[in-house]
Amino acid sequence: MKIIILAVQLLTFLLLSPLISGLISKLKNNLRMRKGQGVLQPYYNLFKLFSKEEVISETASWIYRVTPFVVFASTLTAALLIPLLALTSPLQYLGDFLALIFIFALGRFFLALAALDTSSAFGGMGASREMFISSLAEPVACLAAFVLALQFGSSNISLFSGMHPVLLSSLIAAIALLFVAIAETSRIPIDNQETHLELTMVHEAMVLEYSGKSLALLELSAAVKQMIWFLLIAQIIFPMQAMPFSAGIGMFFWLGWFCLRLIIIAVFVAVLEVSLAKMRLLRVVDYFGFAFLLSVVALVCAIIGV
Amino acid sequence: MQAVILFGVLLSCPLMAIAKRAPALVRNFRLQSFFLFLATLSLGAGEGRVDLYIIAGLLFLLKVLLIPEILYRITRRIKANENIGLFINAQLSLFFVLGMMYAAWVFSKAMFPFAAVLKTTLLAAAFCVVLSGMFLMIFRISALAQIIGMLVMENGIFLLASTVSGGMPFFVEIAIFFDVFVSVVIMGFFVYQINKLFTHINVNKLSRLKG
Amino acid sequence: MDPLSLFFLSVIFLISFPSAVYSFGYLKNEASGKKQALALSLLVLFVAAMVWVVAARNLVVFLVAWEIMSLVSYFLVVFDSTQEKSVQAGTIYIVMTHLGTAFLVIAFLIMSKYAHAFDFASVKAACALMPEKTKNFVFICLFIGFGTKAGLVPLHIWLPFAHPQAPSHISAIMSGVMIKTAIYGIIRFVIMLLGVDSIWWGVWVLVFALISCLVGVVYALMEHDIKRLLAFHSVENIGIILLGVGLAMFFLSLHLYYLAVLSMIAGLYHLVNHAIFKGLLFLCSGSVYKATGTRDMEKLGGLIKNMPVTAACFLLGAMAISALPPLNGFVSEWLTLQAFFLGAGNVGSAGKLFLGVGAGLLALTSGLAAACFVKAFGIIFLAKPRSRQAQNAFEVSFSMKLAQVFLSLLTVVFGVASGVVIKLLAGICAFVLEVDATQMNFSLNNFVLSPQPGNALYLSPPLLALLIVVFGVFAFLAYTFFGNRKVRVFETWGCGYYKLDSRNEYTATAFSKAFRIAFSFFLLPYRKTQKIRESFYHVKSFSYETHTTPVFRKYFYDQILKIVFRSAKFGRRMQPGSIHLYLGYIFLTLLLLLVFMHKF
Repeated sequence: MKIIILAVQLLTFLLLSPLISGLISKLKNNLRMRKGQGVLQPYYNLFKLFSKEEVISETASWIYRVTPFVVFASTLTAALLIPLLALTSPLQYLGDFLALIFIFALGRFFLALAALDTSSAFGGMGASREMFISSLAEPVACLAAFVLALQFGSSNISLFSGMHPVLLSSLIAAIALLFVAIAETSRIPIDNQETHLELTMVHEAMVLEYSGKSLALLELSAAVKQMIWFLLIAQIIFPMQAMPFSAGIGMFFWLGWFCLRLIIIAVFVAVLEVSLAKMRLLRVVDYFGFAFLLSVVALVCAIIGV
Repeated sequence: MQAVILFGVLLSCPLMAIAKRAPALVRNFRLQSFFLFLATLSLGAGEGRVDLYIIAGLLFLLKVLLIPEILYRITRRIKANENIGLFINAQLSLFFVLGMMYAAWVFSKAMFPFAAVLKTTLLAAAFCVVLSGMFLMIFRISALAQIIGMLVMENGIFLLASTVSGGMPFFVEIAIFFDVFVSVVIMGFFVYQINKLFTHINVNKLSRLKG
Repeated sequence: MDPLSLFFLSVIFLISFPSAVYSFGYLKNEASGKKQALALSLLVLFVAAMVWVVAARNLVVFLVAWEIMSLVSYFLVVFDSTQEKSVQAGTIYIVMTHLGTAFLVIAFLIMSKYAHAFDFASVKAACALMPEKTKNFVFICLFIGFGTKAGLVPLHIWLPFAHPQAPSHISAIMSGVMIKTAIYGIIRFVIMLLGVDSIWWGVWVLVFALISCLVGVVYALMEHDIKRLLAFHSVENIGIILLGVGLAMFFLSLHLYYLAVLSMIAGLYHLVNHAIFKGLLFLCSGSVYKATGTRDMEKLGGLIKNMPVTAACFLLGAMAISALPPLNGFVSEWLTLQAFFLGAGNVGSAGKLFLGVGAGLLALTSGLAAACFVKAFGIIFLAKPRSRQAQNAFEVSFSMKLAQVFLSLLTVVFGVASGVVIKLLAGICAFVLEVDATQMNFSLNNFVLSPQPGNALYLSPPLLALLIVVFGVFAFLAYTFFGNRKVRVFETWGCGYYKLDSRNEYTATAFSKAFRIAFSFFLLPYRKTQKIRESFYHVKSFSYETHTTPVFRKYFYDQILKIVFRSAKFGRRMQPGSIHLYLGYIFLTLLLLLVFMHKF
């Protein structure tokens, strides 16, 4: 039974996550009064990349080659920490919220190294910026996790997967986490996925040298990571019951609500992206400063008990 | 008898304070040592102790004959001017020494309020000699004066020991004599070397050597 | 030997043996035979002194051993005495370490005054009866004394000078083990002998530990000398270790024994881990130095091709120190953070706020550390070589590789087998805190950690490692067997520029620029640019220089030094070199003594 849940969860993440990227992209285009690409475009992209030849920089070492696998593996491992179908994640002994943050750090570490490995200045720029942003994001995520742990007893993610009252403190903490998620998924105002201009790109600069199947793996990992973050935030703000294992109307509603809350967050992110401009790099300090302040406010709320 | 000897010892202190030239200083030192020799001899005769005779003999040999002779020789050999250079002029020095005499008297009175007058006086004299030796070392420029000052202090300590406790143990005394003799020889050598290097033996100019 | 001493003993030997093995290769061709023998005997003496420090059961013996340790390490710092830098570093080190010892002497004297004895047992009995104010004073003295040795901010000033200057295997021992003896001192004297009963002691330690973490890592980010970078990371990691110890003191004073034991485990665990990975990193940096003759990162690069073993070892060390799963640094940082998290449920509202912000700052530290080691590894080992020395580098000798590989295996073992380690540490911590820990459950089985079982809190490093490997292999298989298998090796894209060389690469200085500006309020950077023009349109050469202001040195130590020099200048007048004046002093003293005698 556990193995099945595990397999289903992995497949859900792998198959569903590009759809969220496609959805946000479509929404953004529509909001800008454009027709835009189809929702399924990320799948086509992945397929295209998988059938292309790969070009590897001649200065690159084994770090560069191994990075896509490390990133992919660490992201999938993180995906197993999230309770998706049952109230407890299939491998609940694996780790907690903090472990999640550190596992993401593993992938990021290798990606930044790979970016430096190609000896391209773009890579260095991207690596530097990515590490800068993520190091500032980490305290915010940690403090938000702290607030949640205070409310739910510990930082085990499974604890806030069921039905629970949404307190003001956890709501604010979730907003702080959303700030982090926007940075982690390289979206406006921190980063911009759509541009290849050296002044603005962060994540794109890091993967600039990648091509073919390696790039496909990295893109897929980025999509899975995005889905993990969205699910996490959704579980805090929109609590839901365990999946009823009976075919019927209950199952249908459950699935509907499950998708709807992801869509809500996706829409929110899309609107945010369209209505904001990208920040200068050094303004990121203010951005995360504000997010940290939000977390502190959440902590104060949690102490008061609201 | 004792009083006369004591007077002699005490008298040599102001005499040394007003001496301006090296030979005069050495002569006064010899005088003081001679009176010290007499004092020891009389003490030996009074108590009938053989070791005191030997010490007195050594004292005579070293401090009256040998050391002054060496010092004379140094003054002759270095051929520098014989003035020992005064920081404080002779009159003021005299006042100083007299003041120290009085202070020593007051001090020894305070230390042994119920002792016999002679003993108190002896103690005061000993103190006075020590202090005047110190005075010579501080307020005289020439290195020669410093040697003599040290010897005078040694005299004072000898007197102090013999008056307060009837003399130090025999071997200690002998060792000190030997020490003093050797140190005079060494210091004489040093003075000679200093003179050769700097053509003077003015100690106050040595401060220029520091970095 | 009690468990605490045994624990530190094993840490000492765990790092010293590989370092000694390493030294054979490292000193070969580097120094004359006599000097090699001297190095080895000093190394043995150094290790023996450290063993003596942790084995001592008497205040005086401890102090003597402590002093021998300091002196021997001083000689090791100035080992390469031909370099003026070494002598300078040694001087700073010896001055600071004696400053610390002075405070220790004060504390020990007060303790022994109450005990009328010097052995630990009677001192402990006496400390229980000590008045509150004296106890606080003794604590502050001990904290300053040991804090100096540990390199706690703002007493860290000697560390970035002394550690890089010593030969690399000595740096590994100094950074890996010697500064840990200060932690031993704090645990032994503050927690075990003095006894913690004021809350502010723990808070005080925590505040200084947090400052150390942040200051250490921010300075490390700015550094481009490998060994100085590592030395600053020692400051940071000592901070993390002290976070564990400080939390233990904090919880102990609140009578939360379970949490105290947990925090202590976290602290001691990080202590072992730091010893392992910092030793490893210093050894690797020594290999880089040996192979290229430089420690300046801006002149290195591309070493992964010529020195694959060293590169792999350095990578493991860098991952461990950046707290990446499933290596050892991750487990101990996770435990420290959990101590913060779990503690929050049991303290008052001010405590909750304090612990929350503390946890956030610790997370910031670990993020910055990761950034720093991306820089370090990326610039040193990846991309193209930036100088001829780096291009002609060669892999180091077998004994050096052996030591590195051994330590890098340990980073994995201590990460994956954390369950066993924690069970062992629990016994030690229970002994230290005098708590019965047999009823406390820190590990569900040897594969899953559960700091607080009732809270459903778990972590399983072996499972994490397994999953990452399995998914990695799975991805690799998918990569190999599906899709287009054609791979072409071609030059890096250079925006159409045809002569891409190492000068186009990112540098360490450039990498840290964002951090430099973000933390400019503390680093106070300044820069100097100079253009030499041939004509208005053609710039012949352009030089760029940037430095950060060493805040603590400039605004703290230099000010103190200024005062010392000024008073010394004043005091110099008392000693003009005139013999007459000196004789006068003696005379005056004599007279005063006589008057004194007369009066009393």
